[in-house]
Amino acid sequence: MTPVHFSFSSAFMLGLMGLTFHRTHLLSALLCLEGMMLSLFIALSLWSLQLESTTYATAPMLLLAFSACEAGAGLALLVATTRTHGTDHLQNLNLLQC
Amino acid sequence: MFYFTFLVLIGLVLGLVGVASNPAPYFAALGLVVAAAVGCGILVGHGGSFLSLVLFLIYLGGMLVVFAYSAALAAEPYPETWGDWSVLFYVVVYIAGVLVVGGLVGGDWYSYSWVVVDEFKDLSLLRGDFSGVALMYSLGGAMLVVSGWVLLLTLFVVLELTRGLSRGALRAV
Repeated sequence: MTPVHFSFSSAFMLGLMGLTFHRTHLLSALLCLEGMMLSLFIALSLWSLQLESTTYATAPMLLLAFSACEAGAGLALLVATTRTHGTDHLQNLNLLQC
Repeated sequence: MFYFTFLVLIGLVLGLVGVASNPAPYFAALGLVVAAAVGCGILVGHGGSFLSLVLFLIYLGGMLVVFAYSAALAAEPYPETWGDWSVLFYVVVYIAGVLVVGGLVGGDWYSYSWVVVDEFKDLSLLRGDFSGVALMYSLGGAMLVVSGWVLLLTLFVVLELTRGLSRGALRAV
């Protein structure tokens, strides 16, 4: 495992652990998801760059498009949650009555 | 260039530590900006200048503006920075965890070198990732259409989610 591979692998695992353990704000969870997507983009780009399989360089572009969709849907859910519950704390989503 | 690559690799991990240690969303967005910027540095170090440009312009220019706008919804009077004890504890734990795992798998770090695209190629007119991404418009046209359709679908998803409370996907029952 080269330092480059270790770096983006640990970045992905850090984003996953942040998404798992810390759930104060919904926006924090979305930012951790974006960090995971960033490390995946870097990983796919480094795959095509290091192996010189340059026809594979379209894959990170498509991943970026799909992650834009994911971020858009997540932020729309954030706005909708803030409208219905008044805040984006995830503890408020457990309330039986808003 | 060797030290530069190591610097941006450490910066990527530290940026993700800053995101994952659960500060207020303002500072988490700042950590994501740092991680994306040094991610561009990593891609430049490997020769992928076009992918780096796309990451810098699209990601930082497009997505993080939306995140900064949405951070206003999650505004707090006293946001937690990385210096607060609850956040600083996780920062220290995450950095220690990365160092421990790095020490465990670091025994067989063969050849501290890295491969740059088109390094051993002579007389190439285009950089490798330029010509690779350009295939998306010829052979990968189907996936281009699918991506455009998914983005259009996301537009309607967002409009439906944020329509209001009276009708639409989300209602206050």
